[in-house]
Amino acid sequence: MEVENTSSSLPVKPNFQPLKAHEISSGQVQFRKVPVPPHRYTPLKKAWMEIYTPIYDQMKIDIRMNLKGRKVELKTRPDTPDISNLQKCADFVHAFMLGFDVCDAVSLLRLDELYVESFEIKDVKTLRGEHLSRAIGRLSGKGGKTKFAIENSTRTRIVIADTKIHILGSFANIKIARDSLCSLILGSPAGKVYSKLRAVTARLAERF
Amino acid sequence: MPTAAVTAGDGPETTAGREALRKLKSTDPPLYLCPSEDLSKAARLASEYLFSSLKPYTPKSPFSHLLVNGFDAEQIWQQIDLQTQPLISSLRRQVKKFEKNPEEIRNLFNLGEKDKKNDGNDVGTISNGDEKMENEEGFDEFEDEEMEGDDDDDEEEEEEEEEEEEGNAHEGKEEDGGGGGVEDNFLKIKELEEYLEEDEAREYGLKKEKKQGKRDQEDDNDKEGDDEDEDDDEDEEEEDDELGVMGVDVGEDDESGEELENARYEDFFGGKGKMGQKRKSKLLHGSDNLDMDGELSEESSDDEKNQSQKKQKLSTHEKELEKLHSTIEQMEKANLEPKTWTMQGEVTAAKRPKNSALEVDLDFEHNVRPAPVITEEVTASLEELIQKRILEGRFDDVQKPPTLPSRAPREVKELDENKSKKGLAEIYEEEYVQKSGLVSTAVSISDQQKKEAGMLFKELCLKLDALSHFHFTPKPVIEDLSIQANVPALAMEEIAPLAVSDAAMLAPEEVFTGKGDIKEDSELTQAERKRRRAKKKRKFKAVAAKRMANKVQHSSLQNRVDGNEES
Repeated sequence: MEVENTSSSLPVKPNFQPLKAHEISSGQVQFRKVPVPPHRYTPLKKAWMEIYTPIYDQMKIDIRMNLKGRKVELKTRPDTPDISNLQKCADFVHAFMLGFDVCDAVSLLRLDELYVESFEIKDVKTLRGEHLSRAIGRLSGKGGKTKFAIENSTRTRIVIADTKIHILGSFANIKIARDSLCSLILGSPAGKVYSKLRAVTARLAERF
Repeated sequence: MPTAAVTAGDGPETTAGREALRKLKSTDPPLYLCPSEDLSKAARLASEYLFSSLKPYTPKSPFSHLLVNGFDAEQIWQQIDLQTQPLISSLRRQVKKFEKNPEEIRNLFNLGEKDKKNDGNDVGTISNGDEKMENEEGFDEFEDEEMEGDDDDDEEEEEEEEEEEEGNAHEGKEEDGGGGGVEDNFLKIKELEEYLEEDEAREYGLKKEKKQGKRDQEDDNDKEGDDEDEDDDEDEEEEDDELGVMGVDVGEDDESGEELENARYEDFFGGKGKMGQKRKSKLLHGSDNLDMDGELSEESSDDEKNQSQKKQKLSTHEKELEKLHSTIEQMEKANLEPKTWTMQGEVTAAKRPKNSALEVDLDFEHNVRPAPVITEEVTASLEELIQKRILEGRFDDVQKPPTLPSRAPREVKELDENKSKKGLAEIYEEEYVQKSGLVSTAVSISDQQKKEAGMLFKELCLKLDALSHFHFTPKPVIEDLSIQANVPALAMEEIAPLAVSDAAMLAPEEVFTGKGDIKEDSELTQAERKRRRAKKKRKFKAVAAKRMANKVQHSSLQNRVDGNEES
């Protein structure tokens, strides 16, 4: 019965606009604070404008540097279109802090499905002393060629910070990069990793 | 036989001779043991008388009368022998004749009847002959012992024997021919027969004795006195060294004429049964001085010698036959046995004896040229050639054949080991753009200019090929991502109607829709066939079940709708 009534005279479906950041937070401002490690302080100073410009102009997020607290603070504006912008900008800055280049980190702003994955060497294998050093060396390769090879083939960006490794890219690519890095950590020679990479990239390229 | 000749002759000499004979006869045998001149003289006279009396019957005798004075006993004996030898043979002939034709005896006796007067003498002589026949054997025994002293006596005795024999023969015949009515004649005929038989028996007996023992006896004389057949046979004996002849002679004596005409192989080369006996006698002939005792010991070894001497006795024909047979046998034997390894076909090392291939002269083809002998000249020539080539710079290097590109080399994405110049964002940007197709970019990641150059060159080549129809060169297949319709090339119009192969078209494996190893129904095994059927059934069942489910759903929907409509 009720069903019939509703079916005969249904009210017009309301058309709601997406909520603005302000409205979501019911008029309150949202913040994000990203700490700056000391080794990234100078690069931040150098690349500030490159960071600032896309955030402020395109993402419509306020950004400032808290020198005393050594933090980058982000704040939503009333005309921020999407609440996710804030998070994206925070991620972008965070990526920069991890060690990624600005141009690489900017991709985070532009594409949704890019992520940053971090893991440590000790997560893969407990290495001590010289082994650890050698593993790190293996990962980078001579002049960083191994790392670059992985980056180029998998369309990711890798940051090796002592024992921490950060990978920036799409989910599948991260996986591939991670696998190669793990095999390198575990001791496989670079040539082997290369051959695997080649096979993988050929497969990846064929998809298109 | 003229008996008148006996009575005729010189009166005084004959009487003297007769006197001498009588004297000899009358003397006692023991008196002969010691030599006496009277006896010897008497003996000589008697011999002379006998000789001369016998002379008419021996035309061939070289002596007109017996030469006695100043001659040795041996010499006298020889003279007598010379005379009597042919005489005996002639006598034998006569006896044989009489055997065949008894009528002639009658004739003789008819002749003899005229001389009945002499019969008394003859009878006396016959009786004397009989006595002397009896004495003959006694004389025979004494012969050997009285060789030296009583040679003359012996001769005389022998002569007497012979004469007696002759006389007997003559007189026997005469009396038989005289007529059957007379008892004496009848008896004499019988006597004659008996005598003949005896004589024959003696001959045969003597012959047997010979086989067993000595040959230098009267048998010799008997034999030699026989007919021509025997002479021939003897000759044959001497030539062929066969005793069989003698035995044959024994048989042939009766049928000599017939045998000669139908002489067969066996007659000449004797039956095997007779060989044994004759072998023995032959052997013992060879060794003259064998005793009877010695003969017995040899009989045992005769069997062996028989066979060996049988072979000796084979004719040339038989020998050849034997040889032939033996060779045939050998060959047959060889054929039955397995062949030697050299005659067999393919022989491995295991099938032939060790190192046997070394002994055999093997001949096989060498397919390899023999290695060249390196001499100074050869090395010099080689070095010359090398130097020349070096100067020219013409080396016979092996050149790899150019490999035709079967397909375009795949764009190998090389691992760039340098820091990428583009930022990550830019890369993704490009990727996105490609995906969306806003900007048409090259499929393969290669230099734009290179691509352009390649395309231009291909066009040029195509035009050139079009100009030369006869030497068709197919276009190199380049893998493109462009979609190709599975249409024969002729359907698409080209610049020139080249006989282009549809290599650019889809290949069979591309056309093929299916997976795995396709087997025809005939190739399947029973199990495979069952498997296929089971699979088909399962599929069918699944489809059927689905259909049923759909039907049910549909029907339920229908019901619902109907239900809705109804309500």
